[in-house]
Amino acid sequence: MFEDIPVDVSPMYEGERIRSANMFVELAGPKSIGAELVQVEDDVEDGKIQVIGPELTEMNQGDIFPFAINIQIQGEKLEKELEGVIERRIHELCNYVKGFMHLNQRDQIWCRVSTEALEAGFKLEHLAKSLSILFKEEFPIIENIAVTILTNKEEVESFLELAKDQYTKRDARARELSDEDVDVFYGCLMCQSFAPSHMCVVTPDRTALCGAINWFDCRAAAKMDPDGPIFEIEKGDVIDAEKGEYSTVNEAIAEHSQGTTDRVYIHSVFEYPHTSCGCFEAVAFYIPELDGIGIVDRDFRGETPLGIPFSAMAGQCSGGKQVEGFTGLSLEYMRSPKFLQADGGYGRVIWMPKAMKDSVLKFMPEEMRDKIPTEEDATTINEIKDFITKHQHPVLELIKESETESAKEDIEKETPRETEETEYESIPSIPVTMAPEISMPAAGGVKIIFKNAKIYAEKVIIKRK
Amino acid sequence: MIIAVSGKGGTGKTMVSSTLVKLLSTTGKDVLAIDADPDSNLPEALGVLVDKTVGDVREELKKDTAAGNIPPGANKWDILDYKIMESVIETPEFDLLVMGRPEGSGCYCAVNNMLRKIIETLSSNYDYIIIDTEAGLEHLSRRTTHNVDIMLVVTDPSHRGILTADRIGELAQELEINFKKLYLILNRLKREDEEDLKRKISQIGLELAGVIYEDPLISEFDMAGKPLINLPDDSDPVIAVRRILSKALNFNEE
Repeated sequence: MFEDIPVDVSPMYEGERIRSANMFVELAGPKSIGAELVQVEDDVEDGKIQVIGPELTEMNQGDIFPFAINIQIQGEKLEKELEGVIERRIHELCNYVKGFMHLNQRDQIWCRVSTEALEAGFKLEHLAKSLSILFKEEFPIIENIAVTILTNKEEVESFLELAKDQYTKRDARARELSDEDVDVFYGCLMCQSFAPSHMCVVTPDRTALCGAINWFDCRAAAKMDPDGPIFEIEKGDVIDAEKGEYSTVNEAIAEHSQGTTDRVYIHSVFEYPHTSCGCFEAVAFYIPELDGIGIVDRDFRGETPLGIPFSAMAGQCSGGKQVEGFTGLSLEYMRSPKFLQADGGYGRVIWMPKAMKDSVLKFMPEEMRDKIPTEEDATTINEIKDFITKHQHPVLELIKESETESAKEDIEKETPRETEETEYESIPSIPVTMAPEISMPAAGGVKIIFKNAKIYAEKVIIKRK
Repeated sequence: MIIAVSGKGGTGKTMVSSTLVKLLSTTGKDVLAIDADPDSNLPEALGVLVDKTVGDVREELKKDTAAGNIPPGANKWDILDYKIMESVIETPEFDLLVMGRPEGSGCYCAVNNMLRKIIETLSSNYDYIIIDTEAGLEHLSRRTTHNVDIMLVVTDPSHRGILTADRIGELAQELEINFKKLYLILNRLKREDEEDLKRKISQIGLELAGVIYEDPLISEFDMAGKPLINLPDDSDPVIAVRRILSKALNFNEE
């Protein structure tokens, strides 16, 4: 099949790097321009190969040339949506060619041809020919394929314009990709070395909480290394679309957390929030006094309105623990339309650091942008209360509702409780601790858990042991 | 073939590394030097300038990701791959990869995982890889050097240097790191101390690959800021390292 190609073509050459010392020419890369593009067209002349601009035989040792690969494909079952997936394979397939190095994708490619390949008689037309054969072999749905290679500066420049336009369109589509559009999510266990019961669930709407990998990265990683730390989770049955609970995700987390966690809501901080390894870029935390959510990121050095800095908060909810009222998240997740959707999204957020707010501002609903205070507006719970009252934050409605509800309850429960409360309030007290969940050490096989606890004391004594 | 050079800081680890690079790059084989010691000055010893380290690449990626600058269709593995290739300093004789500062705040599990894979792939393209490792023992316990073929532990005649060398040997055993060969190099030796020190070393159970005598030429180069890779071929330290290298490379035939 490759008999007229003067160099070997095989998957064994993947990962081949060509040192500048062994290189004949460099194509595209940091010192020049380049691009690659796959497009589905209606009319493609199968097997057509073209090199526009100088061939390798017209180049000199050490030259750097602009470089582009333009591939047109046609097939009955081919759709425009597949262009990106097919284009991604250019990198791998180019690397099958011995003596040809190809890095990265899109308009960030970097290629080199080895001196050895040149001496064997290798030309760019051979690269085009190999791609043409390999692509049809890899994707039987491609019926016709034409490959054009450009090395002429003007040609590459105008092609780059066209390609960039296509990338932008494709990215816009990718940003719209949501949890509903896919059949698989991914699990990531990269952090298990220090959080052995933690598994990140990565979906189109929720990146890993370290922010380093999104759904597309996982798809690539799972394909490259199917036995690696990133693996597919079939989406399975939706238990609650709003909260983001899926039967298969629950099964996967139970298996990979060794049973520590068996339920997870990927879009909520309440009940069964996503666990955290310690890698998160930010933490969302419940503020019970105002029934709202605060968010703090790793770069914020000050104290949060809860009176503790990011580091202390991170300590409370990391290590693969599921702590209601806290969840680690990535900044990218804050740009997702499903950002804590079960809790009310930005409509529930009542505090965040200024720098972070600025970086996600345009992803916030417009009406919320002035309503969420930062450390410049409020540093304590009382100050937040004043700010959100002044700016008519929607969370006030929630507080009102719950106050009405509890008022009703009080009436139903009649007087004894009211007396108690009066008594309690008559003693000046200071808050000792506030937490969405506190476990008390207890004996006799009983565990006491306080939910949304506020503990007040008349006096707090701290003694050195 | 991966050769790692370790030892307490200031024992002459970098001189040994740069001379190994010098000697191996004359063989016509592909040589990659890796500076894995944030405190070392291997680039200076090799006479090259560093634009970007692996640490910088890591920070760049974290920053771009947090700022939302990476298009969703772009793949981070490929981006890192490209950036790492960009950070390789290429010369006609050898290539150099500088690891740079250790990670800052924040978590890098995912990025480090990707980097490890990428550097492994990159390294597989070279015939010889020389790693100038951190002065401490962390690289051993973190298993970053676990696929090393030959570990050369450099010590000066100081008691603490020899103690560190001994501990590296013990730790390697404890962690069951299977170097094909573990050697000691005694550097900056004064001829009058030779007998004494050799006796001392024979007690710690590390095989001595060779000695390098104290040489005024090295301090001269250091003082003038001249790259150690330019030490003359016929100078004593280069001859000594050449002997050590041929012993290390021929251990199979012994």
